[in-house]
Amino acid sequence: MTAPSVPRRILTVSSGLAVFLGLSVWLGLSIGSTGQNLREVFALLIGSAGPDETLANIVWRIRLPRVLLAALAGATLSLGGLVFQALLRNPLAEPYILGISGGAAIGAIIGILLDLSRFPGVALLAFAGSMATLFLVLVIASVRLSLKQDSLILAGVMVNAFCSSLIMFLLSLTQDARLHNILFWLMGDLSLSDGTQTLILAACLAPCFFLLFFMARPMNLLLLGEEMAASMGVNVRAISLVLVVVTSFMVSATVCQSGLLGFVGLVTPHLLRLLFGPDHRVLVPACILGGGAYLVWCDLLARFLPAQGELPVGVITALIGAPLFIYLLQRSKR
Amino acid sequence: MVLQILKILLLVLAFLVTPAEAGLVKDQLGREVLVPDEPKRVVSLAPSITEIVFALGAGHLLQGVTQHCDFPPEAGALPKVGSYVHLDLERIVALKPDLCLGTRDGNPREVAEKLGALNIPVYAVNPRDLQTVMSTLIEIGRLLHAEAQAEVLVAKMRGRIEGVKARVATTQVRPKIFFQIGIVPIVSLGTNTCIGELITTAGGHNLAAGPTPYPRFSKEQVVALEPEVIIITSMTRGQDFEPVRDDWYRWSNLPAVRNHRIHIVESDIFDRPSPRLVEGLELLARLIHPELW
Repeated sequence: MTAPSVPRRILTVSSGLAVFLGLSVWLGLSIGSTGQNLREVFALLIGSAGPDETLANIVWRIRLPRVLLAALAGATLSLGGLVFQALLRNPLAEPYILGISGGAAIGAIIGILLDLSRFPGVALLAFAGSMATLFLVLVIASVRLSLKQDSLILAGVMVNAFCSSLIMFLLSLTQDARLHNILFWLMGDLSLSDGTQTLILAACLAPCFFLLFFMARPMNLLLLGEEMAASMGVNVRAISLVLVVVTSFMVSATVCQSGLLGFVGLVTPHLLRLLFGPDHRVLVPACILGGGAYLVWCDLLARFLPAQGELPVGVITALIGAPLFIYLLQRSKR
Repeated sequence: MVLQILKILLLVLAFLVTPAEAGLVKDQLGREVLVPDEPKRVVSLAPSITEIVFALGAGHLLQGVTQHCDFPPEAGALPKVGSYVHLDLERIVALKPDLCLGTRDGNPREVAEKLGALNIPVYAVNPRDLQTVMSTLIEIGRLLHAEAQAEVLVAKMRGRIEGVKARVATTQVRPKIFFQIGIVPIVSLGTNTCIGELITTAGGHNLAAGPTPYPRFSKEQVVALEPEVIIITSMTRGQDFEPVRDDWYRWSNLPAVRNHRIHIVESDIFDRPSPRLVEGLELLARLIHPELW
């Protein structure tokens, strides 16, 4: 049997998904609340369009930041799910379910209430919040002396519930226009994405993506169990710490701009694992490209489904993701 | 010195290049906005502004309004650009406006900034109560070249307000009013709110007076305050308010219940800072002092 070499598989899978992401972005740029213009946008993209300044403005300065933010958020959250699933050896681990997004939310809401700018003010508070909740989850789970399976998910659910009550408390204190701001943010909203801030986010995320790609091999070994990984020369503590910090940083930087988007980190890694197998060297780039495309599609649905206005994209991701979560939970119990 | 001369030269040049079409004006957010001398395509970002523009006779300039802009009826037929808290940027840009009129506190500031970056000027006004509705009328009247109409409207409004004040001044009685804008939880309005001022001007004693703008009440507190008149309005549209009124009628020893003085009023003439606010004031005065009319 001559299985294709790993670099080749990485290349084929990645280029396939890159083409898919490209097509999704094209579609995302072509469809909006003022209608669809697939052909005109294609002409605009290859630079042979007539001087329709309004359409160019709409495509480059309204739709593009939004589609880019969707792709970045999808990539980050999928990668976050992948990393946590490997690190905790639990198929149900995901930033949203583990309470990390909730912690980031509390930080971000406090930031919004303090009238801080989205970046870096709100982002830093979101990061602090997510680190705090992650710490809490790990402490609660380790009290039960096993870092495995259900105890972590249980701890995550508890901390998540606590986070939600804190969020409710903060909401009940708010009476002015910021309330709408926070509500839209909690439901996951990409409509106010800003070009410059999206670029800053991309610049923050790119090194994280590379770092995680180079940690794909240790992640593969972690899946075999901590002792096994240690015996193969992996510094488990150091690797785990780096993975946790890098992932929390990515997630909170993204969440402060995109709002809460649940279950993205659950849907895409599982789907891609089914398609391409468990090798993280393939899965990391696949999650970045495929996850990005997934959220671009979710955002398209959010804009396209309702006749009037639009749905928050977080509603779409949750509607797709929650049933899958239940299905996976059932399967893992068997 | 040389720099200053250069600056002046540049200014003169700029003046020559751009024909005297546009002017920098300061809006209610304190931002310098480049407003065209003769706006032709205006988008209104709030129901109150839509009403003000139509009242000024400049409705034909409007190319787009928000989802809830339903007065006057012609406004409902115009293209919609989302709700005032969640505006649809793409639709606004597609309407190619040369001026957007927004509110200082209702519209998200990010939207004004994004539109500004797309070279669409957003002029923010801040109508909150009778006084500021009148100054906003003058302000928008100046922007849309309807100064004369604005003066007439303001004079009329002022006359009607004085009329109410004069009648109310003939009596010393100040009935205790509970003005309910929220059902669950029960929410009323403090002293420094538009409705709070309307109640006082209409000759009532606002039971929710105080520094909190939107105080919440328990049923028990309301009953203990013994309101003589209860007025119910709600920001939720299309809801049935009779059950809310009937619920109060169960408290048979409340003065308002004994005298059948629980009223349901249309919320638009109270919670929209538009010229119709003066209708709200007159209605309120009639409900509080029916003996004077």
